[in-house]
Amino acid sequence: MDSATSQITGGFQSNKLVQAWLVLVLAVVFGISLAGVQLVLGPIIEKNKMNETLEKVPELVLGKDLAAKMAGENQVLEITPNHVMVENAGRSKFYSVYEASYQGDRKGWVVKNKGRGYADTIELLVGFSPDFSSITGLFVLDQKETPGLGNKIIFEKWRNQFINAPTDKPLVVVKTGSTRPEEIDAVTGATISSKSVTVLINSVISDLKEPLTAAPNEAGKEDKDNG
Amino acid sequence: MNAIEHTEDVAPVIYVSPSPHLVQTATSTRRMMVDVLIALAPVVAMSLFVFKGYALFQLAVCLAGSLAAELIFVKMRGKPSTLKDCSAIVTGVILAMSLPGTAPWYIGIIAAFVAIGIGKVIFGGLGMNLFNPAMVGRAFVMISFAGALAASGFEDVQSTVDAVSQATPMNAYKMNGVVTPLVSLFLGTTNGSLGETSALACLLGGLYLVIRRTASWEIPVGLLTAVAIIGGLADLMGPADGWTILHHIFGGSVLFGAFFIATDPVTSPLTPKGKLIFGFGTGVLIMTLRLFSGYPEGVMFAVLLMNALTPLINRWMIPKPFGEH
Amino acid sequence: MADQPTALERFIQGVLPENPVYRQLLGLCPTLAVTNSLTAAVTMAGAVGFVLLCANVIISLIRNLLKPHLRIVVFTLTIATFVTIADRLLAAYLYQMSKTLGPYIPLIIVNCIIICRCEVVASKQGPVAAASDAIGQSLGFGLALASIAVIREILGTGALFGIRVLPTVWPDWVIMGLPPGAFLTFGILLGVVNWFTDRRKAA
Repeated sequence: MDSATSQITGGFQSNKLVQAWLVLVLAVVFGISLAGVQLVLGPIIEKNKMNETLEKVPELVLGKDLAAKMAGENQVLEITPNHVMVENAGRSKFYSVYEASYQGDRKGWVVKNKGRGYADTIELLVGFSPDFSSITGLFVLDQKETPGLGNKIIFEKWRNQFINAPTDKPLVVVKTGSTRPEEIDAVTGATISSKSVTVLINSVISDLKEPLTAAPNEAGKEDKDNG
Repeated sequence: MNAIEHTEDVAPVIYVSPSPHLVQTATSTRRMMVDVLIALAPVVAMSLFVFKGYALFQLAVCLAGSLAAELIFVKMRGKPSTLKDCSAIVTGVILAMSLPGTAPWYIGIIAAFVAIGIGKVIFGGLGMNLFNPAMVGRAFVMISFAGALAASGFEDVQSTVDAVSQATPMNAYKMNGVVTPLVSLFLGTTNGSLGETSALACLLGGLYLVIRRTASWEIPVGLLTAVAIIGGLADLMGPADGWTILHHIFGGSVLFGAFFIATDPVTSPLTPKGKLIFGFGTGVLIMTLRLFSGYPEGVMFAVLLMNALTPLINRWMIPKPFGEH
Repeated sequence: MADQPTALERFIQGVLPENPVYRQLLGLCPTLAVTNSLTAAVTMAGAVGFVLLCANVIISLIRNLLKPHLRIVVFTLTIATFVTIADRLLAAYLYQMSKTLGPYIPLIIVNCIIICRCEVVASKQGPVAAASDAIGQSLGFGLALASIAVIREILGTGALFGIRVLPTVWPDWVIMGLPPGAFLTFGILLGVVNWFTDRRKAA
């Protein structure tokens, strides 16, 4: 190979930087092309990340049927993402809160929260009625619970029992058929996963109920997220 | 006729094992297996008495599965049948005794095929396997069918058999802090895997095995010591909820595991010292899993983990020849 | 270079006789990690194919400029660039899939199949041979991944491409979707492939 012969000639060509000219040129070329790719695709990826949450909001606030009906009639909910900071026992915690409204009328809230599950972190979205008095929907964004047991928390059948649960009492997990609205049936064989979900929801309620209901138009300390 | 003899037909192999070097290997495998079956008799009898039809059903399924699997896989390898050494029967019975009576039929069949196929034959047959075959099969179905084999799967509230309609003692304690009376744990009138409930039956069978020297005493002793020490510490340090050392030993499948599962001569160390370490390690792992994991019981995973360490223990514990420094 | 296989030979060899997974045992990390669903396996194979094709062609075009002691750096640089492009493309147009595949897309950078093909073919032969080799190898890789994924997805979830194919009485073998299922399936398939090869040789 001719590259092998040029190596022996020494002098100017043996200079390490000169030898590496190809690497340097390639690095510059590739770097520029990667920057171009990022420039084109970056906004799309950012939008994907936002949409992941946003496209769930109508269903969580309005319920599945109404959300489908609205989408069918080309009506779009206005969604305002906020960050709400809550001071709790000396520690501050940020919540992503999405306020959904239609033609200036508030339709409800969606709050993102994550915390410890049985196997790993569970991340979920909870929908609340406009006055924060009841839960209107639950969606599990991310979980790694035991397949066949704990991962049943993602199924609609289980999640639907949260709909219309009141927020004035903390949710309780029961194993033998719930009799009251604040009682949630545990997934069979996965009490811990079920409890983790209710704990996450309860902490949202206890942290956010006051700030969100106290200031009807100004949700606590908020800084606009221009997504 | 057993597997070891046939491999000798193919190529000369030197077997390294501590004395006594008995020549009659062909009959000894079978003798051991028959001994284990005799020792399992009280356990099986007790499970039939407590779980009635459930136990009979599970035994039939697992035995049929194991024998069929042994027949098919040994034939696939082109070796003469090894059914007569009774090892498949032992695997089948132990597997059945480690499953809940409520498990559907396919669980026993799949577990048996995995136990014999992946647990044993794939490694080269009896004597070559790294892991306890019955536990490999059980682990496979335990992870696959978590719903049927996790603690909640043991219960069938509508069942006419008393034991099956209750929660298992281990789960009742772990989830709700309910302590089952020692007498029921000792006699075995509680819910659980078929063979694990009766401490009495396990002790009877286990003592027979130890007296016959079919199972070495070091493994059960090491295992129970570890469980007792950690169980005692947990009892002293934890809340006074009535779950004592004896509950730790009689509850769950510690005794069944100590005498019938951990003592498998193929997958446990060769030297007495190694066996003690093996037993102790298994006990420590059982208690670690019980106290700190999401599972109420940890015998199966503990035995499998220690099986994996057996070659290492064997290397550490090579006896020094007399006079060597 | 008369002693080198032709483009067509390169292509055919890549698919089965020199299958990257079953014959060369390369690229096993994604083989084991993303084969619990056929969709993920096909996407993975596609991503690897894209990177392999681009890297092979580029390396082949600049093969006469390569210095022996710097060639690995050039390979890695090229591969990393195309992996990043593949990763961004997936995140932009197949967002859910890119979340499912997670770190395994960036890990294509260290996938041995690609660096192996760059070294064996692209740095010695022209772009046509390099391209057809890349296509053959990625086809072989895709077939291998799909073969494992079909078994794991059907046994593990009773579905194929996420669509239920087995009756609902089928009890899902959850373990097949977890890492142990990957090792068991791959081991058994590898055994079957070797058994067939042996029988063919013997015949």
